[in-house]
Parts: sequence; structure tokens; C-alpha cells
Amino acid sequence: MKFTGEYRIEAPRETVWAAINNPEILRQCIPGCEEIACNTPTDWTAKVTTRVGPVKARFTGNIRLEDLEPPARCRIVGEGNGGPAGFATGGATVELTEADGATLLVYEADAQIGGKLAQIGSRLIDSFAKRYADEFFAAFARIVAEGETLPAPTAPASTPAPAPSSAPTPSSAPQPVAAAVPQGTAPSYPPNVPAHYPPQPGWRFDSQSFVIVVLALLLVFMTIMVGVK
Amino acid sequence: MTPFTYHSPATLDEASALLLESPDARVIAGGMTLIPTLKQGLARVDRLIDLAGIEALYGIETRGNTLRIGAMTRHHDVATSPLVLARLPGLATLAKGIGDFQVRNRGTIGGSVANNDPAADYPAALLALGATVITNRRQIAAEAFFTGMFGTALEEGELIAAVAFPADIRCAYAKFANPVSGYAMAGTFVALAEGGVRVAVTGAGPGVFRSTLHEAALRERLHPDAARSVPLPEDGMISDFHATAAYRAHLVSVMTARALEELLS
Amino acid sequence: MAGFGIGQAVLRGEDRRFITGKGRYVDDVRLPHMLHAAVVYSSHAHGLIRSIDTHEAKQAPGVVAVLTGQDALADGLGGLPPYFMPSDMGGPPGHRTIRPILVTDRVRCVGDRVAVVIAQSAREAREAASLVAIEIAPLAAVTTPAAATTPGAPAVWDECPGNVCFTLEFGNREATDRAFASASLVVALTILNNRISANPIEPRVALGTYDAADDSFILHTSSQNPHGVRHVLAQSVFGLPESRFRVISPDVGGGFGMKADAYPEDALVLWASRRLGRPVKWVSTRSEALMGDNHGRDQISEAELALDDTGRALGLRVRAQQGLGAYVQSAAVAPITYAMRMLPGVYDIPAVHCSNSAVFTNCSPTGPYRGAGRPEACFTLERLMDEAAVLLGLDRVEIRRRNLIPASAMPHTTATGVTYDSGDFAQMMDRCLVLADWDGYDQRTADSESRGLLRGRAVTTYLESAGVFNERMELRFDPEGNVTILAGTHSHGQGHATVFPQLVHEWLGVPYDQIRYLQGDTDKVAFGRGTYAARSSLLGGTALHAAAQSAIAQARTMAAALLDAAETEIDFADGLFSVRGTNRSLAFVDVAKAFFRPMGKPGGLSLGFTVQGTAGGESPNFPNGAHVCEVEVDPETGAIHIDRYAVVDDVGHVLNPMVCEGQIVGGIAQGLGQALIEQVVYDPENGQLLSGSFSDYGMPRATMMPLHIQSELAEIPCKTNPLGVKGVGESGTIGSPATLVNAVLDALRSVGVTDITMPLTPVKVWTAIEQARQTTRDAA
Repeated sequence: MKFTGEYRIEAPRETVWAAINNPEILRQCIPGCEEIACNTPTDWTAKVTTRVGPVKARFTGNIRLEDLEPPARCRIVGEGNGGPAGFATGGATVELTEADGATLLVYEADAQIGGKLAQIGSRLIDSFAKRYADEFFAAFARIVAEGETLPAPTAPASTPAPAPSSAPTPSSAPQPVAAAVPQGTAPSYPPNVPAHYPPQPGWRFDSQSFVIVVLALLLVFMTIMVGVK
Repeated sequence: MTPFTYHSPATLDEASALLLESPDARVIAGGMTLIPTLKQGLARVDRLIDLAGIEALYGIETRGNTLRIGAMTRHHDVATSPLVLARLPGLATLAKGIGDFQVRNRGTIGGSVANNDPAADYPAALLALGATVITNRRQIAAEAFFTGMFGTALEEGELIAAVAFPADIRCAYAKFANPVSGYAMAGTFVALAEGGVRVAVTGAGPGVFRSTLHEAALRERLHPDAARSVPLPEDGMISDFHATAAYRAHLVSVMTARALEELLS
Repeated sequence: MAGFGIGQAVLRGEDRRFITGKGRYVDDVRLPHMLHAAVVYSSHAHGLIRSIDTHEAKQAPGVVAVLTGQDALADGLGGLPPYFMPSDMGGPPGHRTIRPILVTDRVRCVGDRVAVVIAQSAREAREAASLVAIEIAPLAAVTTPAAATTPGAPAVWDECPGNVCFTLEFGNREATDRAFASASLVVALTILNNRISANPIEPRVALGTYDAADDSFILHTSSQNPHGVRHVLAQSVFGLPESRFRVISPDVGGGFGMKADAYPEDALVLWASRRLGRPVKWVSTRSEALMGDNHGRDQISEAELALDDTGRALGLRVRAQQGLGAYVQSAAVAPITYAMRMLPGVYDIPAVHCSNSAVFTNCSPTGPYRGAGRPEACFTLERLMDEAAVLLGLDRVEIRRRNLIPASAMPHTTATGVTYDSGDFAQMMDRCLVLADWDGYDQRTADSESRGLLRGRAVTTYLESAGVFNERMELRFDPEGNVTILAGTHSHGQGHATVFPQLVHEWLGVPYDQIRYLQGDTDKVAFGRGTYAARSSLLGGTALHAAAQSAIAQARTMAAALLDAAETEIDFADGLFSVRGTNRSLAFVDVAKAFFRPMGKPGGLSLGFTVQGTAGGESPNFPNGAHVCEVEVDPETGAIHIDRYAVVDDVGHVLNPMVCEGQIVGGIAQGLGQALIEQVVYDPENGQLLSGSFSDYGMPRATMMPLHIQSELAEIPCKTNPLGVKGVGESGTIGSPATLVNAVLDALRSVGVTDITMPLTPVKVWTAIEQARQTTRDAA
């Protein structure tokens, strides 16, 4: 399965770049996302619980980044395992280009869904993937556009931040970024990153963008339901 | 399927309270989707709250110009109800075409509406007729109720008590079923409501929607040919190995025309 | 033999228990202390197994054991070979695979068996199975023969680069090339025969019991070939004598060829039972069946027919590929062979050259499926015939008439080396045209047009090759002269429990209700080969006839002793032994009782009365006939309505017309299912199965079928067996796909559509119409 999307975000590219590197923003944009953790600089984990129709599933996705061209482009690959429901693997190329003061975000994703979800849920996979991606980017664009004053994330190892007291889901109205997002990096980011690891935002960009797209797919897998009325 | 406790409350409030006690509690109406999902291991429940024992959820009645159908009313009962046949025959036709005999004898209107499967039949009728979903807490207009694929405006612990349809509206439903699954490949409910013709589509897109293009064309000329000639863009239609988006888009126009033929005949 | 003899429409005695829920299927067998198995399947189509973590599953509630392929290797277990390869019969070499009962290093299809969980309950076993964590490093996968033979395609087996397991070739290349060179018309088509799933109403079930007391195994399994399963398990998996295995296949709810083979689960339950000392049962779910059962068909061919300008066929050339899936299993070679050898059908085609390559893909294995190659052959030939008629401007009845082998030419040997003993193909076609009111078509077309529908029709012929291998049947009498048939064949829907007693009743005069039928137990039935390939009337019937003749011969000796006459003076007719020229006689039943006298050697013969008969199976028979179908197509939606269906079948001597008609009508429905809606869908990118439930696999429904199938039987006796019978089990399935597709294409010809691949789903029909219209617009 392949799908693509294009979103115009009313913010400069640097802001988008910074925001997309902010795990807390991403966490807010991903429906049902409980946490995004960076285990090592190239190994990320997201935990998501999703519920669609009668299906409710919790799954874990692992992400790694492969090609980086900060701040314009990256390639993210990853996989998610939903236990008995099946698995997903996939990748996404995300590009940011400047467009009249705003930013054009274009992604191309491909995903492979395997196991029971593919076998019994194929009628719903594509639709749900699109819907999920749309929901994510709509929330992302809104939050970033409204929160242009968002500070750039600091070096990953430096400042563990407290967890937000409330995490709005994309279906409810997103709060302004400045209010919703604590300054600093995500609480789950490990404080013991090796010193030689370049604290470039691009690293995190990759893994999190992957979360954006591939986890959307993983959610799809998890939310496929049996085709019986 | 993993073990769970079974509850059979007598009132909707009791059911709602039970539902709020655990994040893994589920209500069961007809079970036409939930049971297979549980059997496939795609969902787990720790408590199953059966609505079958709540007397107030059954029955079909008219109150003035409103046809009120209780949430636990089965498709077969809607299809054969003299009240529905007299006051909203298009809805009876729809109910008669849902799934198969077994589904119609077990599945309920409340379950179908709350599940909002993108290929379910009832949501099209609710949307086209401008029905109201009555819950244990409030009344929700159909337009606001359905929020896309499996999505509804229902909140935690909120349960459907009944659906209220405006009666005596000329309406018809035409469905082209996917021959494999029986689900709507495209199902169109056309209603000649007070505010004008309304066309609601299920099965073709990622969720039930009103086809404003068809509505506009039919406002110009209320004739099947007008519906047939609407070139519905395939963008946004479902595409899967069963059928292309182009085919589904085409079927929407054909089914709209056929519903209209039925309605005008 | 009033009411119960040969040719009578005796009601099926077995139906009472089937329709009142009293049948005994494997899942009805519940043994004390029984455990339950759940199999862990590969979710990947192709990949290397990095690890299998069973730790969590072993801790789960109710779990008794979790076994992997390494455990099987440690216990010295083997795997499942194909029943035969071409090289076993003098054919070309091929890559013979052994399917492990649990894979250890590499998965080659979604549904490969990786581990098995044994628990106290089926639910607990399934729950725990979901906890087995398998880490797989994916490899690229191929799902179609075409993709698998593309240069650079990933190899399903490293030992078989290019994925072609073997290629079979028939006919005469030079003669065919000459025929094509001299032709005035060559018709060429690319023909796809879709991969489908058998979906018997009873999914596969296996119950294994190990008896430590005498180191023996009992396997209850839903199989159509219990002795075959016993052989494979004993020889290839366990390496133990067959006599230590008892395989019981009681009532079986359909097989269609899919249940003719041993599956990994058959071995797993026996192995687990031996390890755990308790019976172990496994029951397939419908989704597991769609994923893990052997599939059918999956052929693509480039087919060409050369004709002269009068429409006479001169030559036929076919290059085909058939998907094997990941393993050569069962009698997979059979359909690959039949699909080529039976290509000439009922037509006199002087030169034929054809080849079929068996190709590995990352899919579930294919095997024989009702018709097994003959539907593929018929489909190819009859599509070419219609296409030729259109291009020549010839009537489709006429082009067939010009090419039919005349009855006067029997016996006829085809260019692929098959000799037909009998048949009157023109008569079948003519009678079918009358039955279908072929001449009233124009009026019906006008009626369809008035409703905006496109009407089309087709007449096709088919020819089957029925019966294979030898067979054995036994008659065993009891002290009261009642008889039990111990059948080597296996009825799983065919009505043998009714028809075989009809034969014995007719031949021996034993009252019908004193004849018992017994099958499907290797400890009771000494030997047999099961039922498939429309073989049972020919081979079971002929073997039973031999047994009956043997019984009469022995009973004649006994009767002579009892009647105090010379054997040469004893006549046997209508169940009575009588002394010629006297009124002294004894009923067969009474003679049989004499074998059980308490003293001495009764009649100088034996204590007890048991006889057996063998059918050599030297020659198959050739059921044939004609189908007519009329359809209406809704051009607006692409929906097909089958308005009319008629069929005439030459089944040779009819044993029970009701059972025959049931087989034919059911077979037609099954073939229409393939043509209309059925297809196993794999994602071509990654080999994932997408049609894993009946929401996505098109199981045909009653409402799609013609309201009434007009069926007529013709009796042209077969000359190569004593009963004069021809098979009937596969006939309907062979003829109906081509008939339906030709009829639909006939309906669509007016709008410019020339071809659609099966299944003819509404979206495909509509899309073809749209594309044809677009082409017309572009040309204009």
C-alpha cells in the first residue's frame, strides 16, 4: 500500500522543522499516543492505544531513520507489532519546502501490513490509513501554525520535562501549542545520550516523522475489524 | 475470546454506569460486529453489558410526525413493521436489505448506528432523513452524530436509546451490494424533505456522507437522468481489491437514480 | 429389484442423519482427557526465521506444551512429500519438496506452520498461540507464476532458481508448427484460471491418539483418502510401519480434492499425543482454512488455435504456467498434467503441442480441486472456439459441429495420446440446445433490451477423464446372511452409502435394508484409495462387481452342496440359486448363512464368508456433454444475472439418476462460483493473503445461481468397464466456467468487450465496458 499527502502549514520551515522534532507535539497529534520514547539516538518507540469501532488495541512501534538531509528531507523506516492482530512495516519520505513564508510538507509512504489484519481487514485499511494521516497532519498544521512562537527544542539530553497534565486528542480542539506543550524535550527522551551523538534535530525528525506515517499505518492494522455487520 | 463477566442491566442508566466502570467494558446490542471481533481476538472485554434486557429500548411508535424506533429494535422488525411500512416505507426497504436473514434477526438499529461502519445501511437513512439520535443524555442530529469511519459523537458512557425519524417523507433506498461480503458497495438514500432533496451515501466513501453534487443536480431537475449524469469525482471514494474508486463513484450516481426511480414511481 | 436396484432414484439414506444433526464428524468425537491444539502460522510470505520465543506462551493459563520445528527434528520427524512427481512416472525431473510439519529456518508462505500450542481447552490454546513471538527477517515474495518466472525474481527454493519446478510437454511440436503454417486463421488468447479455495462446509479437523500400550496411533481426520494419509504419515513423517497407524475418517463434510492429502496438523496431533500421553484435537477455523488449505487452479496460459477458412481446427498450441505455491504437495502434478492432456476435448484436432510449467510461488500450495486440470483445459479450448467463431463470422454452434469427433469415429485417440472409447458429442449438443430453447433466444433478447439489459448466450462442450488408479472393495457377510460393504473408496457427499448397496442388492438379491455400508477406517477396510477424480463409480463399482462375482461363485459351490446338485446344474438369478429343471432353490441370504455352521469346514469352503474384488483401473472413462447458459448483464452496474442454464451429460450407465443430477447441479454451481466471484487474493507486493475471510473471499451464494438448472442424462455406456459407467462428480465443474464466461462475453460483444478474466465481478464487467467505450470514442 502506498499513499501520499501534501499539507500547507502556515509557519516558516524552521518552525515546522523544530515542531516536528518536538516529541510532545507529535504525541499530541497522534490519536491515542501515550508516549514517544527515544531509546537510543536511532531507535525510537511509540506506544499507542487506539480504538476504532469494536476494535481496541495497544501496540508498540519501533522506528529508525535512514537518510537525512536536514532540514529539508528524511526517510524513516519502521515496524510495529500488534501481537495476534498482525504487524506492519513501512517507510516514509518527508519533504519540507518553503512556500511564500509557509511550509509545504509532502510525504510519500508505503506500508506493508501482515497477518490477521491483512487477511480480514483489507476493506478498511486504505481508508483508515488516509483518514488517520489526515487527522494527524490537520492537527499538526493547526498546532504549529498557532504556535509560531514555539521555542526550538534544546539538545535532547539536556532537559527532561514534566509530562503534560492533559493530552488533548486530535478530535477535540487542540490547545494552543504554547499552553499545551511544555518547553524542552519529551519526558521519555533518555538523559544519557552519548556525547558524540550530534544533537541535531534531524535525528529526531526522522524517527518522529516515521511515527507520523508508519504508526498511522500500524494503527490501521490494529483497527481493522471483522467484516460482519 | 478471553473470559469476561456478563451483565444484564434493566435500565440504560445502569448500563451506562457499568460501562464507565472499566475502560475495557463493552455493550452488546445485536453483536453482529462485536462477537466476530472478539472471536478474532481483535478486541478484548472484561465486562460485557447486554442491552437485551432493557425493555425501554424496544419498539416502534409514532409521536405526531415522528417515527421513533427503539435502539434494540431488530432489522427484521423494522422491515416488517406496519408503522414503518405506512409512514416511512423507504426505511423498511432499507432494513429488509441489510445483511442476511441471520443478521436481520439479530442486528439492531442502535448497534448499527453506534458502530457506524462505513458500509452500513442505516447511517444513510438517518443522514438523508435528518433523523435524531436520542441517547441517555441528549438528542443529537444525524449530521452531527456521524463523524467518519466508525466515528460518532457518542461520549464515554453515552448510549443510544432510540432513533427518531421525521415520518411521512417520501424516500427510497437503493443499494448495490458487494457480491462478496454483502456490504454496500454503494448505497444511496434519497429523501424529499422539506428543505429539498437530500442524498446520503454509504459504502462508497470512508464514511456516510451527503452528496451535495447530486442534491444540487436534483434541485435543478428532479429526474433519475439528472442523477445519472452527475460526474461524482472518484477522489475520496474507497478503492480496494474489490472495486475501484471510479466504479464506486459511478455506482453512487446509478444508485441515486434508481432510488429516485423507485421514489417517483 | 423394485425400488432399490440399479438406475433407481433411491433417496440417500445418509441424508437423514446429516440433516438432523446426527452425523458423526471428527469434531463430534470427544475423547476422555483430550487436549486441544492451536497452530501458530507465519504472518510473512517469505523470510528467514531469526527466533521463536515460546516462553510467554508456555506460561499462559492451561498450556501443556508449546512445540516447534526444532522439537520435531529432535524427535526424528520428517515432513510431507508430494504423492508423486513426474519423474516417478517416467517424466522429467523436478524439484521435490518436503514440507516440514513445522518450519525451522525459513517461511515460504503466509500460513506456513511455525509452532503448535497444546492446552486444556481450544480457547486457551488459541490465546497462548498469540503469545508465541516469531522474529522473521523478510525476503522478497512472489505470488504469481508470471512474477516468479521473471528474470531476477526471488527464489522460493534456493535449490530451484527461476522457480520452475518442472515442465511437462505433450503432443507433436513439428506437426503443430506445420498446422499453424498452413492455417488461414490463428486465434490467440491469454487465459487466466483464477486461484480458488475449496471451502468444504466442514473445515479440516484432526484428532490424534497415541496408545502407549501397543505403541500405535489413531488419527481421526476429515479426509477423503484415509489410507493415503496413513501411508504418508507412517512412511514420511514418523518412519514407522503403517500397521501401527489407524486412520479414521468418519462422516466428512466435503473435500473437493483438497482433503485428499495429509496436512501438517494430522502429524502434529499424533506427535503431540505421543509426547503428552493424551488425545489432542485440532479444529481449523474458516480463516485458517482459507489461509492454510491447499488451493486450486492458478494457471496462466498463452493459447493459440489454428483453423482453415471453413472453421476446421488444424492445430492447437498452449504454453501454460501453473502456480504450485511454496511446496509440491498432494497430487499437485495431476491437474498440471490433465490441463494439457485433455486440451483437445471433444474436437478432432489433428495437431497439438502444449506445455505446462509448474512454478513455485510464495503462496499456499495448490492441489487437485474438483476437475483438477480438466476445467482449465475445457476453459482454454472453449474460449478459443468462441473467439474463432467470432473472427470467422461463423455461428458458434456450427463451428463446434464442424469440429466434433463423430460417434462413428470411436474409439478415437487424440493428439495428446488419450483414447476415448465412446461418445456421441453432437447428440449431446443438439439435445442441450433443445433443452435450453436455443431457438427462442431472439424473443428473450428483445425482452432484455426493453429492460436496458444485454443478453448473451453460449453453448459449450466438455469432456472429462474420470477415474484413476486401482481399487479394492470387500463384501463381508454375517451369520444371518446380511452383508457389509467395506469400501476402499470414500464418500464425503457423493452418496456412496446409497448407491453401492443398490449395486449389491441388484447383483446378489440381498434385501436393500440388509446391506450395510462401511468406509473410512483403515483398521476395518483392509485397503483403499479414497475418492477423487470422479473415480468411485468406475473403480469402486468395478471392484464391487468383482467382489460380487466372487461371492456368487463361492455361494454357488455352497448352494450346490446344500441343494445336493453339481455346481454346473446351479443357476443364479434374482437372488436365488436354483437347480436347473427342478423347483429346488435357495435364496442367496440363506446360502450365505451356511458359511457360519458351527462344525467342520462349511461347504468344504471356509468359516465365514468374506470376498474381495479388485478393479485394475487400466482405462479411465470419458464423461462428456454440453452446457447452455443465457445471461443478462446490466451495463450500468456490471451485474450478471444467469437467466437460463441447461446441461446434458453422458454419464454412461446411470446408477442413480437423483444422485447423478445432484452431482451435476452442485458441480455447475461450483464452477459458476469460480467464474463469477471466487478468488484467493494475495498482495502481489508482499505475498500477504488479503482474502482471509468470507467478507473478502467470494463464496458463491444461492441467489447468484440460476433459479433452475435443466439437467438431462444421456446413457451411452462406457465400453471399457463392466458396469458401463462414466464418472459424474466433476462434470458440472468442468463445463460451467467456460459457458458462463462465453455467455457474458457474447452479451458484451455489442459494446466492444472482447475479454475479461475470471472472476467476472461486477466491477470488472463494468470497467471492461467503460474501457471498450473509451476505445471506441478514441477511435472515432
